[in-house]
Amino acid sequence: MKLLPRVCPACDEDLQVKRLRCPTCETEVEGAFGLPGLARLPVEDQAFIWEFVKASGSLKAMAKLLGLSYPTVRNRLDDIIIRIKNADTQRNTLDHSVDERSDKTHE
Amino acid sequence: MSDDTMHAIQPPRKTWTSVLFNPFQYVAGGMALVIGLGLMVAAAYIGSISHTHFDGVLDVHSGLKAPTWFFLVEVLIGWLSLVAFLAIAGLIAAQSRFRLVDILGTQALARGPMVLAAAVFLLPGVQRFTTYLLHKLPTLTQSPPAAPADLWKDLPLADAFVFATAMIVTLLMTIWMVALMYRGYAVSCNLRRGRAVISFITALIAAEVAAKLAIVAIARTTGILS
Repeated sequence: MKLLPRVCPACDEDLQVKRLRCPTCETEVEGAFGLPGLARLPVEDQAFIWEFVKASGSLKAMAKLLGLSYPTVRNRLDDIIIRIKNADTQRNTLDHSVDERSDKTHE
Repeated sequence: MSDDTMHAIQPPRKTWTSVLFNPFQYVAGGMALVIGLGLMVAAAYIGSISHTHFDGVLDVHSGLKAPTWFFLVEVLIGWLSLVAFLAIAGLIAAQSRFRLVDILGTQALARGPMVLAAAVFLLPGVQRFTTYLLHKLPTLTQSPPAAPADLWKDLPLADAFVFATAMIVTLLMTIWMVALMYRGYAVSCNLRRGRAVISFITALIAAEVAAKLAIVAIARTTGILS
């Protein structure tokens, strides 16, 4: 399966989903759907989180699985946490500015 | 998805450079501590035979005769002093939590090159040249100074060459050790670039001063240094 692109190749902005299709009955739904937070992370981060949850959140088990030391794996998790927090902040700022614009329109 | 995910998070391939200069990607904590302690004991033991002192965090000196326990104490003080200051630096500079055992382990393993530095001083040429230098010391410091021709007329050239080579090897081992100390600290506390470099250098200088003072104090108290 192809990898889901997350950002626009032209301007680097986050992409949205425009159309969804059922592979069985071919029903299509069209609209503007935002990608869930996890899907907006880089593929390596998504894969790390996937395996981390499978390992019951054990960094020791992840270190063993990847053949890396405990602090190296923990640093990778810390970096993902920072990226998630930054994405949250970015999203909140965006939501806030959208709310302000819609308030002004209503006035 | 399992094969895809594993492929996406596979660590970079092990290379000689990564193993030599950043082994802490693969080993840290308790395992590094056990290996590092073994290497430190070996360095102290070989040092006691070749009269090589690791009398500080970065210092390597040869010559002074001392009991075996003193060589071990010197190595342990150098290690623990750096661990203490790096832990303080980590508490100030790191943005995430870290484990003390990782700093203890990585800094112990980082002292591995000391074994090679101590072994180099076992070479008979180095031993003979060190004795020669110690014998010449009063002539070098006398007043008025001796004429250069008198100073070097009986210079053992072959031994001097071996000694110079040993010094270069020791210097390279020290550089390697500092590189390992830095990588160990950066990995243990998840620090990068300016923040890592500045906090590491500050801790290294403070640890060097503290270790030196402690070692000299012990040497004076026990009568090893008069």
